[in-house]
Amino acid sequence: MSRVTYYILIMIIILGLGANWVIEKANRSYDIPLLRPVPEFSFLNQRGESFSNENLQKKITILDFMFTSCTGPCPLMTLNMSSLYKDFDDVQEVQFVSITVDPSIDTKDKLREYAELIGVDDGRWQFLWSDMSAIKDLKKNGFMLYADDLPQGHAIKFVLIDHKGNIRKYFDGTDEASQKVLRKDISKLVRELRS
Amino acid sequence: MQLFRTFAILSTALTYLLIFIGGMVRVAGAGMGCPDWPKCFGRWIPPTSLDQLPEHIDPAKFNMVLAWIEYCNRLFGALVGLTIAITLYLGLKHYSHLPRIKWPLISAFSLTLFEGWLGSVLVDTVLNPLTITLHLFFALIIVMLLLYASQEVYYLENPDAEKNSDYPSNMQLLFGLMAVALLAEVVLGTEIRGGLEMIRKENPMVESQFLLDMLGPFKYAHSILGLLITILSIFIWHGSVKRSLNPSSLMVQTSTTIVLLILLQIVLGEILVFLKVIPLIQLFHLWIASWILGLVSIQYVAWQRSRVTYE
Repeated sequence: MSRVTYYILIMIIILGLGANWVIEKANRSYDIPLLRPVPEFSFLNQRGESFSNENLQKKITILDFMFTSCTGPCPLMTLNMSSLYKDFDDVQEVQFVSITVDPSIDTKDKLREYAELIGVDDGRWQFLWSDMSAIKDLKKNGFMLYADDLPQGHAIKFVLIDHKGNIRKYFDGTDEASQKVLRKDISKLVRELRS
Repeated sequence: MQLFRTFAILSTALTYLLIFIGGMVRVAGAGMGCPDWPKCFGRWIPPTSLDQLPEHIDPAKFNMVLAWIEYCNRLFGALVGLTIAITLYLGLKHYSHLPRIKWPLISAFSLTLFEGWLGSVLVDTVLNPLTITLHLFFALIIVMLLLYASQEVYYLENPDAEKNSDYPSNMQLLFGLMAVALLAEVVLGTEIRGGLEMIRKENPMVESQFLLDMLGPFKYAHSILGLLITILSIFIWHGSVKRSLNPSSLMVQTSTTIVLLILLQIVLGEILVFLKVIPLIQLFHLWIASWILGLVSIQYVAWQRSRVTYE
């Protein structure tokens, strides 16, 4: 073997080992922090059934705050949430929760209509309502999200909650790149739950 | 002139290395490691902790490892750009009267600037698959242009390198077919990868070995074209080594290496399809494809050179 071939081979091996190290390092870099447990709450869903923090157990939950007549960032948030709802349709461990911040208008019937309108046809996506003060309290003190100027001033975050009811991470509900990370993180939590 | 030769070879080698690093960013999933461009999270040196992030960027996107991987790719890209710029400067200084050296260098440099811009588009479009393919496609063109310039310089210094060799004269079509088939094969390959990602998005919990089954006819097109490329490479080898008189050692070595690399590519490709989608193998599968393209370009230029000397 000529000297040049020899050098090239050695360089390729070094590159391969280096790349392998980098890829491994990248694969292990997705840690999802453990922030805090979701506090106790008990709201009603679009079918009038009770939904409490107990329903967060044994499920991976993606939760947001919205209102049906919102025209700002909400349509984009709903679009992103719908896309997750559709893509994770064969993953029974994943559920979606949207809490209205405008309960005077978003009644049970209004929420049910809204759910039908965006194609929610099973129990994987719940739309919750309660009285304004309880919603405000949960949003502000439970989820640490801005809640001073509801309904307009609601947060655009998607909250990722694990199977033990712990808040794990917040995502910008309108940002495409954030949504990609969210998808990865959901899959990771589901794998952890399954194993 | 010595310095120009050094830089021509250096910029070719570094561009190959950059293609490797770019492929690595892709298989490591670090393409969005920095969500902005050219800075990374609003900083010239990527952040090392969450509290260094600017307000307007969602902290959920921050992953320090991925940010640094992507940033190293950008830094190395800038270094390669600089090297090509110096090569262009030296080339214009010494060989501005030779269009066959001047124009490839000018094109390579312009395309390098274009590639940088395309990198920013990639970040803006959150890794649009078509843009990823274009980003690779132009990198391959740049590396072939640089190789061409380097080879021309080699012939300036060794004008008799192909003087005694006599290759079959009707190989033009073979080379043309081969170049088109190879570029199409690379594009098909990246489409397979893009397709897999699309399927993964819609079926997030499916294991990777089942993803390929869901891909459909794309993967067969890639295999069929691969077979055609193998046959073409053997024809070209036969023409330039067996049916020729006094082929240069450059020609014999490149022709033989191409055939061997294509066989290696088949093995790597089958491992990916039948065993497991291993990121490191994906990376080398792509990188070796870029070598094959470069070698075919060397082969073609050598063949053409023999004719120029003859006529």
